[in-house]
Amino acid sequence: MAKTKTNTEDYMRMYRQMVRIRTFEDNANQLYLSAKMPGLTHMYSGEEAVAVGICEALTTDDKITSTHRGHGHCVAKGAEFKEMFCELLGKKEGYCRGKGGSMHIADQSNGNLGANAIVGGSMGIATGSAFTSKLLGKDDVTVCFFGDGATAQGLLYEVMNMAALWKLPVIYACENNGYSEYTRTEEIAAGSITARAEAFGIEAHQVDGQDVLAVNELTQKLVARARKGEGPFFMELMTYRYHGHHVGDINREYYRSKDEEKDWKENKDPIIKFRSWLVEQGIAGEDEIEAMNAEVKKDAEEAVAYAEAAPYPDQSEVDMHVYTDIEHALERDTA
Amino acid sequence: MPHEVIMPALGMAQDTGLIVSWFRSPGDAVKSGDALFEVETDKATMEVEAPADGYLTDVQADAGAEVPVGNVIALISDTAEDSGTLTKAAPADTPSEPPAEAPAQGTTLPEGAEVIMPALGMAQDTGLIVAWHKSPGDAVASGDMLFEVETDKSTMEVEAGHDGFVAALLAEAGEEAPVGDVIAIISTDKPGAPVQRSIAEAASPKAAAPRPARDGDAKPASADKAPAPANAAAPPEPAPGAKPRADGRILASPKARRLALEQGLDLGRLVEAGHPQPYHAEDIEVLKALPSEASQSTTAVSRRLTADLPHDGVAAFKAWASETAGLEDENALLAGLAAASLGRDSAMVAVESFGARRGYTVPAGPLGAITATDEDIVPDLILRDLRLSRITSVSLGAEDAPVLTLTPAGDGLSITLECASHHLTATEAVSLLSEFAGRMEHPLRHLL
Amino acid sequence: MRDITLSQAVNEALAEEMRRDETVFIIGEDVAEAGTPFKVLSGLVEEFGTERVVDTPIAEPGFMGLAVGAALTGTRPVVDLMFGDFIYLIMDQLCNQAAKAYYMSGGKLNVPLVLRTNLGATRRSAAQHSQSLHALVAHIPGLKVAMPSSAYEAKGLMKTAIRDDNPVVIFEDKLMYNDNAPVPEEEFLIPFGEANIKREGSDITLIGNSSMVQVCETAAEILAKEGIEAEVIDPRTIVPLDEAAILKSAKKTSRVIVVDEGHQSFGITGEIASRINEKAFYHLDAPALRMGAMDVPVPFSPALEDITVPTPETVAENARKLMSREMIHAA
Repeated sequence: MAKTKTNTEDYMRMYRQMVRIRTFEDNANQLYLSAKMPGLTHMYSGEEAVAVGICEALTTDDKITSTHRGHGHCVAKGAEFKEMFCELLGKKEGYCRGKGGSMHIADQSNGNLGANAIVGGSMGIATGSAFTSKLLGKDDVTVCFFGDGATAQGLLYEVMNMAALWKLPVIYACENNGYSEYTRTEEIAAGSITARAEAFGIEAHQVDGQDVLAVNELTQKLVARARKGEGPFFMELMTYRYHGHHVGDINREYYRSKDEEKDWKENKDPIIKFRSWLVEQGIAGEDEIEAMNAEVKKDAEEAVAYAEAAPYPDQSEVDMHVYTDIEHALERDTA
Repeated sequence: MPHEVIMPALGMAQDTGLIVSWFRSPGDAVKSGDALFEVETDKATMEVEAPADGYLTDVQADAGAEVPVGNVIALISDTAEDSGTLTKAAPADTPSEPPAEAPAQGTTLPEGAEVIMPALGMAQDTGLIVAWHKSPGDAVASGDMLFEVETDKSTMEVEAGHDGFVAALLAEAGEEAPVGDVIAIISTDKPGAPVQRSIAEAASPKAAAPRPARDGDAKPASADKAPAPANAAAPPEPAPGAKPRADGRILASPKARRLALEQGLDLGRLVEAGHPQPYHAEDIEVLKALPSEASQSTTAVSRRLTADLPHDGVAAFKAWASETAGLEDENALLAGLAAASLGRDSAMVAVESFGARRGYTVPAGPLGAITATDEDIVPDLILRDLRLSRITSVSLGAEDAPVLTLTPAGDGLSITLECASHHLTATEAVSLLSEFAGRMEHPLRHLL
Repeated sequence: MRDITLSQAVNEALAEEMRRDETVFIIGEDVAEAGTPFKVLSGLVEEFGTERVVDTPIAEPGFMGLAVGAALTGTRPVVDLMFGDFIYLIMDQLCNQAAKAYYMSGGKLNVPLVLRTNLGATRRSAAQHSQSLHALVAHIPGLKVAMPSSAYEAKGLMKTAIRDDNPVVIFEDKLMYNDNAPVPEEEFLIPFGEANIKREGSDITLIGNSSMVQVCETAAEILAKEGIEAEVIDPRTIVPLDEAAILKSAKKTSRVIVVDEGHQSFGITGEIASRINEKAFYHLDAPALRMGAMDVPVPFSPALEDITVPTPETVAENARKLMSREMIHAA
């Protein structure tokens, strides 16, 4: 474990945020399994320490870009369960009025520029967000979340090149969960991941993505330096996804063994590890933790019930939000 | 509050799940995370965990039942007793849903566990069977490779999933089977006569009879009844001093057609005048400058045919229709008889009697389905009933549609058909009048 | 009113908007000191510095993606794409990201971005530097598409585009950069979705975009000598499209030719002709005719290249056919 912090509130908030992500995903999975959720979704369970460790080092003004596996980033950056579940179910009160769904949740009020269903699709956006910060003389930092699979996209190298040339306040956070969809990362990534960034002169770090304190401590340092114009930075966070590539990916034996999954869940779980550390350090008692867990669980259940009962958008919304200045796009050209 | 135990959606395109076995019995205490039952889908077998702590109650489906995804199959309650709150969910029991391969050619398939073509890709409809690793009659264990399947994305070996014997192989290597279809059967006992066949063999020749094409529905809105110029795909050369087209159609621009319609002009008169097609808006001026209609009506291209009937069968028919079917409107009956004579599925008929005109929509089917309309219709046929007048013969010339006129002739009646040459060919005109005369003489015979 | 070139008009529009709004910046390959290969941007870096006139590596998807992110977070980038043909390289960023952000976020995020690029053949640049690809982007809901036909439109539409809160793609005709036209010295904007009746006529309507407006005007002059009065319409933006003006003219003349430099099949001409067919059918005295570029890659040899695009002569020839009794099946 990383070195002890003194702020009990921060620790408890980190723990709570990780539990909120896990609970959110358990409920989302349940909604999918019970055929109550349209479409499919990609579970973040197992990677909680990455999103929480990073987002807890950011302010609301700092930006993130997220991925198809984005619920964790969204929760960690401050989103509410109700609006998230509504979005997952395509309801009007969702973060995107039901137009985005699981893979496109955006929550700009908390600096989340949106999940992206194109693998690697948000790398340009994150770099551009950092460009805005520099151009307008603001001090916010942008974190670009992406997976190991996205390191195969050419866009990453184009934008890292520009970010390094122009010293943009962006942190590329590669969540290496070992699998690029249904393929082992070793089979799709030649050489070292961090060396890719280093080739552009970008300082790169590899960190245990199951250790929330280690992730948080590193991010705090890098964010502070990025604010001073020392960016960009690159982090490779070693982590693991408990579920398949998506919720329907249940037969995984052809690419990874059940023993491997069991080992990560039992021995490297970020929540279990942090929980025992909290108890060990006397920061929280078991009762206190159980009460927090129960409260989060209740919140989630209430939000699910709320979302299930919430109304769908009216059909008249179908051609709204195509253009900012045209209320109903299909009526625009009508003579 | 009890928690619902729901049949989970495991695959991407899965509708039901088969309960292989229950690990717990009703009334058992369970903890959240305990394996409750085992479910099998087209993709895999999976243990489903209890969603909460409590007691397993209200079990709705037994092992072996196939349950639609999303259905509640049990509750986890605070007490061990059934709450009775669940109405017995109707599990889609295997027998109730016949396998897609219904036994063809009288072959009865052996009993046993079905092996299904799995959905492997994201948008996959079929799987190609590359090879069978077992032959009919072979003993198999659940983990044995049964066959190899290839999709657009990958090739995969599929396990038998059941212990037993290969009782039937329902598709051959090299064939594509739809996802979800049963392609093999594994029986518990060694089969006496294992089945082997191909999908091609099984495809029974039960193709539905081709639906009769509906025609006559699309009526051009323009009065001259020529179709829209879309058929100008292979038009004839616009010959000067052109003759009418063999198909009776008039080639004209949409604008020319609209102007003719608005001004009550008949583009057919331009044809008669030998004016070359296609017609444009400027040709409307030519049409307006043509000599008046009266002098045109005597031209050879107008058709007039008459038929005389020794007696009028309509009165008796009307009485019969009124008595047996409650049909009182004689004009509707006349419209129906006239429309039937046109040989179309449906038609619009205008009936004129005692100086009043009424439109009727005549669909295919019984006379009772005929409806009168007060709207201005563009009729396919006009029927003028002058039987109660003193007029015995008419020669009024062609109108917008063929006109059938009924006039008295002693005890019987006389029927005159008048139309323009582009309405009906000579053969069609003869046919229409013969058919209608037959119906007027013996309405019931034609009806039956 | 003074005459300036289309190139100067674009330059003026950018300079005026950059002075007006400090969040406007230009980004692209060789936009700063080089001022682009067509020298359209010369002088801007001297006034606004390299912070706001940003030279990039040759990485179209990268700087396009960066611009989308910048636009999402409070700036108004003007992306310079050196040749319209490179639009294929940035399709994901333009069509999957910029065009959909506002919709996918339910109206919470928007992308006020201008993509400046060009179109046009007959510059002897062959198949990868001569395409007119505006139909590709006009097909994508969420993007607006402007097609200036002279220096006046180039300036007025550019200023409107920069102030628009949506992603706008502007296609300039690269053969017209040095063409002069009267442009007011005082500030003006041209609203999107308002067609310009370039010439009034009663016999036939010629609808042309960008480079094809001049072609239609010249064709109209040829036809006028023969007693055929052609009306020439420049829609100026194809998304949004001034359907009302187009239909009004079609109903008035009953005959229409739609002329565009994009490939004829599945393109702008088919779209506009189809709307006329659907909404003015009973006013047509002849089929609405499409005239696009030949459905072939643009060839290099001048002998071949020149016959691939509509010319005043071919437009006039088709107009004569539509005016006659001759039946037209294909141009």
